[in-house]
Amino acid sequence: MADDRGVREYIAVAAIPERSSSHFELGNSRENCGYATTFMASPQDACALNFTAFRWSFDRNVSVPYPLLARRTHKWLALVIGFQALIWTMSGLYMTAVHIDIIHGDHFIRHPEATPITARELGDPIAAAASVPGAQSVKLHRLLDRPVYIVTSRSGATLVDPRTGARLSPPSEAQIRQLATFWFAGMEPLDKLSLVSDLPSEVRGRKPPLWRAEFGGWNKPTLYLSPETGELVTRRHELWRIFDFVWMLHIMDYQERENVNNTLLRLFTWSAFLMAVSGAWLLLWSFSNRRRKPRGE
Amino acid sequence: MRIPSLLLRRIHKWIGLVIGLQFVIWSLSGAMMAWLDMKEVAGGPSRAAAAAPALSAASAWPILRRELDDIPITNFAVRPLLGRYVFEVTTPVGTMLFDAASGRRVRVDAALARTIAAAAYAGNGHIIAVRKIPEITFAVREHQLPIWRVDFADDENSSYYVSASTAQLLERRNDTWRIWDFFWMLHNMDYLSRTSFNHPLIITVAFGTMWLAITGFYLLFRTAWKPDVRALKRRLRKRR
Repeated sequence: MADDRGVREYIAVAAIPERSSSHFELGNSRENCGYATTFMASPQDACALNFTAFRWSFDRNVSVPYPLLARRTHKWLALVIGFQALIWTMSGLYMTAVHIDIIHGDHFIRHPEATPITARELGDPIAAAASVPGAQSVKLHRLLDRPVYIVTSRSGATLVDPRTGARLSPPSEAQIRQLATFWFAGMEPLDKLSLVSDLPSEVRGRKPPLWRAEFGGWNKPTLYLSPETGELVTRRHELWRIFDFVWMLHIMDYQERENVNNTLLRLFTWSAFLMAVSGAWLLLWSFSNRRRKPRGE
Repeated sequence: MRIPSLLLRRIHKWIGLVIGLQFVIWSLSGAMMAWLDMKEVAGGPSRAAAAAPALSAASAWPILRRELDDIPITNFAVRPLLGRYVFEVTTPVGTMLFDAASGRRVRVDAALARTIAAAAYAGNGHIIAVRKIPEITFAVREHQLPIWRVDFADDENSSYYVSASTAQLLERRNDTWRIWDFFWMLHNMDYLSRTSFNHPLIITVAFGTMWLAITGFYLLFRTAWKPDVRALKRRLRKRR
């Protein structure tokens, strides 16, 4: 069959090591320009091209037609895309195999049932907010079972006693330590407690400063608490950090790790799709050819 | 019992076909999700809430406090809602809203839901329908009933969802999101609920893909690229 020559040639180029050996070469000897001459206006043009451009070059003795050059380009492109596809697969496997609730750290955080409170125990929240200039909202919160109002204004959050309406001072280091160990449900001891204003990238986008409570063990569970209110802002651990890293690899945004619309990703995903589809097509086509052949002859 | 080779081959072939097909789907859905603008998927431009007035001195809390009496409260907040303030009282049976100045119960009816949706909407379509949804759909799968759905007549067929209990704007959905969500489903292989990417099916297929990818990559590298690398090395050695 005449029309499967293309595929055969493709397989031959990809599969026969010695014939397909190629290498980068800067500059060329004159006879090497030969193969290009049929496609160029003159041999001089071809050689000019060879001498000025850093170009693909093949074995000196083999004359290679242009389509083969395209195939070799395709082959090397496939190596790059294929490598990324491998990264996609491995990062994808990690993200699917480790449950997202574990990644979120739900298992080492206490989930206390909020003890109900009655309205009679709560003073006027609007009067309480009056002590904070520019207050915009109030919410009931519990610090180690003690009910407090958190009054939020544009400049931050303030603790207010819900019974008296008096402003409370922000939690001390000792209180933060107590809160951190209260929230942490794991067995490991608190290793390090520090107030960080230069936030690490694992809490990018949050408002500094934050209390950082790091616990021991291989997983290094880390809690971040608000210095204004003692609220648990977020938690991190090694499995989360790995997730964040493979997520970066998966979406190919190596700086901010959040832009899923970046050009590099768009380029690679469409290339991967084209490669997958053309690969599937080639595969089906070669199979159907093989099957049809005996019948045809 | 010995499994015949032919059967093994067939199994291998069909697993390969399934994984290959899923690889095509993954690359297509991934490409589509990278292609669709995430800002549009998230609902597109919206109007910022009007600046809330200062928390007023007039407070209906003393009245409300008497009214609520000893009802157990699990959560309590004062927050702005369309230029006024409301008390949001959560009890074990549900959430209630009260006007902070008058103490009157605020019920999230169709008119209020319409106003909340319109206040956040930055497009130029008008509202064509406001209705309570009878059951949770894909668009609001992370929320709980009761929910108002407010439909706009625009190019994107925008639908805003407002909670009928807390008056919060829950989701802003549009056609871009609907397309995105379809590909998200294909990518995550959670065809029924579209929520989880941690189910046995996807883990199994992902593992199979990785195994195929690693072995295939190694084989392909040996036949396709290694000779080139070797030739390059030879060439460099000759240069030296």
